[in-house]
Amino acid sequence: MGERAIKVEGLTKRYTIGNQKSGSFRESFSALLRKRAKPIDFFALKDVSFSVDKGDAIGIVGRNGAGKSTLLKVLSRITEPSSGRIEINGRVASLLEVGTGFHPELTGRENIFLNGTILGMTRREVSSQFDAIVDFSGVEKFIDTPVKHYSSGMYVRLAFAVAAHLDPEILIIDEVLAVGDADFQKKCLGKMEEVSKNYGRTVLFVSHNMTAVSSLCNKGIMLKSGMVSEIGTAADVVHKYLNNEDEGLTYYKNWQADDEIHHDGVVQMHYVKLVGSDGEDISVAKISESIGIELSYSVKKDGYKPIPNIHLFTEKGEKVFVSVSPSKMEYTKAGTYKSRAWIPPNFLNQENYIVGIAVSTLSPVVVHASDYRCIYFEVMDDLLSVTRNGFTGRIDGVIRPLLDWELIDCN
Amino acid sequence: MSNVVIEAGRNRLMLNIRELWRYKDLFWLLAYRDYRIRYAQTALGFVWAFIQPFATLLIFTVVFGVAAKVDTKDIPYPLFAICGMTAWTFFSYVLSNSSNSIITSQQMVKKIYFPRLIIPLSKAVVGIIDFFIALLFIVILCIYYKFVPSANIIYLPLFAIMTIISSLAVGIWMSALTIRFRDLQHVVPFLVQLGLYATPIAYPAEMLVTSLPKWATVVYFINPMAGAVEGFRWSILGGQPPNDYIYISFILVLVLFVTGLFYFRKVERTMADIV
Repeated sequence: MGERAIKVEGLTKRYTIGNQKSGSFRESFSALLRKRAKPIDFFALKDVSFSVDKGDAIGIVGRNGAGKSTLLKVLSRITEPSSGRIEINGRVASLLEVGTGFHPELTGRENIFLNGTILGMTRREVSSQFDAIVDFSGVEKFIDTPVKHYSSGMYVRLAFAVAAHLDPEILIIDEVLAVGDADFQKKCLGKMEEVSKNYGRTVLFVSHNMTAVSSLCNKGIMLKSGMVSEIGTAADVVHKYLNNEDEGLTYYKNWQADDEIHHDGVVQMHYVKLVGSDGEDISVAKISESIGIELSYSVKKDGYKPIPNIHLFTEKGEKVFVSVSPSKMEYTKAGTYKSRAWIPPNFLNQENYIVGIAVSTLSPVVVHASDYRCIYFEVMDDLLSVTRNGFTGRIDGVIRPLLDWELIDCN
Repeated sequence: MSNVVIEAGRNRLMLNIRELWRYKDLFWLLAYRDYRIRYAQTALGFVWAFIQPFATLLIFTVVFGVAAKVDTKDIPYPLFAICGMTAWTFFSYVLSNSSNSIITSQQMVKKIYFPRLIIPLSKAVVGIIDFFIALLFIVILCIYYKFVPSANIIYLPLFAIMTIISSLAVGIWMSALTIRFRDLQHVVPFLVQLGLYATPIAYPAEMLVTSLPKWATVVYFINPMAGAVEGFRWSILGGQPPNDYIYISFILVLVLFVTGLFYFRKVERTMADIV
């Protein structure tokens, strides 16, 4: 400890909106002719400073749009900062996704080499790790089959296996653990833990999964609107993040047209709120009653088939479910719509939940608008609820569904 | 231990050769990938690499050799045309593929750092395969016509290198420009088509030099491939040495190559933001 791995000073990344230089000749020419609309500067990162010691595992948390991904991109040298300075001591590997460069026509073997060299390894390094990578992935039988024939699970396992065998001094990871099945996720978390604790590597980890951040990291950084709002131990930062007073989450949320949650001009979300079974607004939900999540949104362009979907999380950041509105119900004409999703009674537990909302087109997947932390609500228990069946203590679990039980008398 | 400093505008114009060298394995693997997927899932596969130049040569021979009777002195027309085509085929392949290479690789560019220059550069490798196939055609035609290549052939590597530099020069410029100006995606195929006739491939440049006014000849040679194609053919077939206008072409290529590297370097810093 004590030796410095990363030092960031006054890091700023500015994007200019409304005057994007990418475009066409026509735009460039017409921009010369007419008076330019005043470009709006948007600061994805603003004067960010921190330092990381060797062997630290740092969790970077913050809401969508807080600048986490931009910070990782700048640290990984994918894009240059507008100002500020970063000093990195040590070999860096950054994993902003798994399987970068994978080509469906190439075999598993070929993709391991391609992906490995993209991640910064040499051919020789990949060769020496090859058996271990194949072993970790569990796809040995299909290693000479083009990956287009792989199931998505196999694909992800192979991709992660390559990443897991990088041997960097500094590892930068963005949400890549949000893939694969539970067993595989466990394996990946284990690998990360091994890297940071046993080998004393430095890890920077961005995640919405607060459980993972608290268990893997010793320090935390919280970003808010592109600025550092909290630096401290991982536990403290996770606590601050989950303490929603800070974020003002409540049982409804309104958005403006120019909010960052709108990723393209196709969909604008107006509000989301909690409603009771009679359609009235509610602020707390009762465990034995239906809970409605009402979303109002506008489709701005014809020809799209945007579908609302709900992402429910516990307060700790564990995902409870994703529910997608059945597509045949949806309209394709521009206009304003209101959707209501009903969570059945006796389904959730006595817990605090956070609702995320997105409106997306499904195939191919395009997320038009999304806010994965928009409302916060508590479910009030009822000691007489049918799922208690008389029991009065605390019942663990993310949900507490009413199941069909059978009792067969075998006497 | 490696030590990196990231700052706005740092090393803006320096070409980091050492870093490119460190990523040489990626360069080869990207080229290998292109080669592997080029004829993937086609019934004829690699045979296509022979059919395309053969068909072009056949049409040229019929139209320019037989019908228009282009004067190629005592050299059989097919042999004359294939020499020009060899350099041109390489150029058009590299230009077409490298100009939109950054856009087609945007998934990678947005997710990981590596010297971006590797992407357009790697396109030249697959082009070289086509180049050798065309050379094979030259050998076959030489044998068929019992033609002995001239002693100038010692200059062939020089003009081959000129062809490669010329292709990369235009390719690097286009790949960097296409990110900002997507219209170029439509301009490049048009340029390649136009260039096939605006370059002395199907006819000798001498034909134009004698019939065009001087200024028009200069304009004609402001074509990065005019010099390379003329020189390439001369080194195999011999005959009258190419006229001095080819230096216009060569100087242009070198200027394009150096400025292209600088421009690419400049755009590279924020490529991930605008692609």
